[in-house]
Amino acid sequence: MSAGKSRRNIRLVLGAAGVAVLGYGLVGLPTELGPAQLLGLLTWMAVAVLLHDGVLVPLSTAAGFGLTRAGSRLQPASAAVLRGALLTGSLVTLLTALLLKAQSVARKSTVLEADYAVNLACLWAVLAVVSAVAILLLQRRGRRAGSRRR
Amino acid sequence: MHRLDGQRVTDFLAAKFASPTRSTRLTVVLGRWLGIAFTVCFLTGLFSHGLQNPPAWMIFPTRPVWIYQLSQGIHVTAGIASIPLLLAKLWSVYPELLSWPPVRSVVHGLERASIALFVAASLLQVTTGLINTYKWYPWPFPFRETHYWLAWVIWGSLLLHIAVKLPAISAHWRRRQAAASASNSPASGASDAAAGESGAGVPAPGRWSRRAMLTAVTAATGAVVVTTAGQSFAWLAPLNLFAPRKMGTGPQGVPVNRTAADANVADAAMSPAWALLVRSGPVTRSFTLEQLRAMPQHSHELPIACVEGWSQLASWRGVRVRDLLAAVDAPPGSDLHVTSLEPEGAYRTMSMPAAYARDEQTLVALELNGAALDLDHGYPARIIAPGRPGVLQTKWLQSVEVL
Repeated sequence: MSAGKSRRNIRLVLGAAGVAVLGYGLVGLPTELGPAQLLGLLTWMAVAVLLHDGVLVPLSTAAGFGLTRAGSRLQPASAAVLRGALLTGSLVTLLTALLLKAQSVARKSTVLEADYAVNLACLWAVLAVVSAVAILLLQRRGRRAGSRRR
Repeated sequence: MHRLDGQRVTDFLAAKFASPTRSTRLTVVLGRWLGIAFTVCFLTGLFSHGLQNPPAWMIFPTRPVWIYQLSQGIHVTAGIASIPLLLAKLWSVYPELLSWPPVRSVVHGLERASIALFVAASLLQVTTGLINTYKWYPWPFPFRETHYWLAWVIWGSLLLHIAVKLPAISAHWRRRQAAASASNSPASGASDAAAGESGAGVPAPGRWSRRAMLTAVTAATGAVVVTTAGQSFAWLAPLNLFAPRKMGTGPQGVPVNRTAADANVADAAMSPAWALLVRSGPVTRSFTLEQLRAMPQHSHELPIACVEGWSQLASWRGVRVRDLLAAVDAPPGSDLHVTSLEPEGAYRTMSMPAAYARDEQTLVALELNGAALDLDHGYPARIIAPGRPGVLQTKWLQSVEVL
C-alpha cells in the first residue's frame, strides 16, 4: 500500500471514530438535560464564542499593538520577557477575578479561604521584579554586543 | 447604497489582526499540548465517572490507596492547564474565522460547523469545570451530566479535527520539516513563509518569535498549574496561591464539603439513642457507639479526595467493615448499600462494591487525626475506603445493608 493511501485510511478511520464519539455525546446530552437546560447550554456556548472572538481576542490584539510599539525600542529578548510577564499576569488575573466573584457568592465552608487579591498583588510584584531584572540584564548585554559589532 | 462587500471587510479585519508570530507550526505545537491535556482530562474523567456510576464491567482498584487522589488531581490540574493552552491555540488560528466566503462547499460548511461546536464546547467545559470547583455554579444546566456528555463531544471533535488536519499536522510535526514546507509552498500564505524563515529565530521589530511565544505560554501554563495544584499534591501546597482549597484547613485539619448544617443532620447525629444498623438478609444487629468502640480498632492513613480535585491525607481509626459483616454472618465479598442520617441529598445513600467492602483498610471510622470525628466530618461514624471519590465516603452513618 502506498504511503498516501495508508494515510488516507488513517484519516478515514480517525474521522469515523471521531464522528462516532462526538455523536455518542450529542445523543446522550438530551437524555439527561431537558429542553430548557439544552437551550441554556446552547445560549451559553454561543455567548462564550462571541465573548472570546469578539472581546477577548480583539482586546489582546489591541494590547499587542501597544507592546509592538513599546517592544520595538527594546532588544527582541527583552520584548519577549515583557510580553511573557504580561501574558502570565493577565491569565492569573482572569482566574483571580473568577475566584473573587465566587468568594462573594459562595456559601461559607472550608472553600475559598485565601486572600486572593493579596496573592494576586504578590504575583504581580514578583513578575514585575523578575522581568525588570531580566530586561535590564538583557538590554545591557544587547547594547554591549551591539557596540562590539559596530 | 453600497452593498457590504464581505471579502473586503474580512480582508480589512484580517490585516488588522495579522501577526507574523502565527504559523501552522505554532498551531501544531500548541495543538499537540492541548490534545494531550484534553485526552488526559477525558480518560481521568471517565475513570471518575465510572467509579461513581459504575457500568457492570467496572473494575474498582483499591491500591494504591491514593489512586483517586492522583487521577482526580491530574484531571483538575490538566483542566486548568488547558485554559491557557486553549486560549493560545484559538489565538493562533483566529484569522481562519475571517476567511471569505464563510462557506465554500457543503464539506467546508460541515467542517466549520464541527469546529464551531468543538470551540464552543471546549470553552464551556474548561470554564464551568473550573468555576464548579469554586462551589459557585450559576447556570441553568446541571454540571455533572453536561460535563460528562460534552466530554464525549469534545474528544470526538478532537479525533475528527486531527483527521481533517492530518496533512497540515504531519507537514509541521517537526521544526525543520515545517520550515521547508512553509518556504516551498506559496499557497500556505505570507505568514507561514515568514514564520518558516524567522518564526523560531529573529522576530519582526517589536514582535516576538514563535519560540518566545511558546516559552511564554509554557511559563503561563506552569504558573497557573504550580499556584493551584497544591490543593491536590502536598509537595506543591506551599505555592498554593490561587486554588479554591487549602490542605490542612477545616476542623481536625481536614476540609469539609458538606457540613452537618448543610445536611440538616445535627440532631440525629448527636442523639444519644444513635446506633448503627447492620443488616444481612434476616440478620439485623445494631451497634451503639460504645459497642463499636469495644470492637477491634484499626488505624489507616487514607486520603479523602474530592471530585473537585482537592484532597487531604488523614489518619482514620475505627472498625473494619469486614468485621461488621462477619458479625452478621455475611461474606466479606458482599456488595453493600450504605445509608446516611441525612434526610435528603444526592449522596444520602451509597452503593459499595465488594472490592471495597472486603478491603482491610475500609473502615467505619470513629476517629480522625487522633480525636473523635468532628460533627462536620460525619460524627458519630462515617465510611472511609481506599481509592474512592470523597462523595462516596458517606458521613453520619445510619445503616449498612448487605445486598
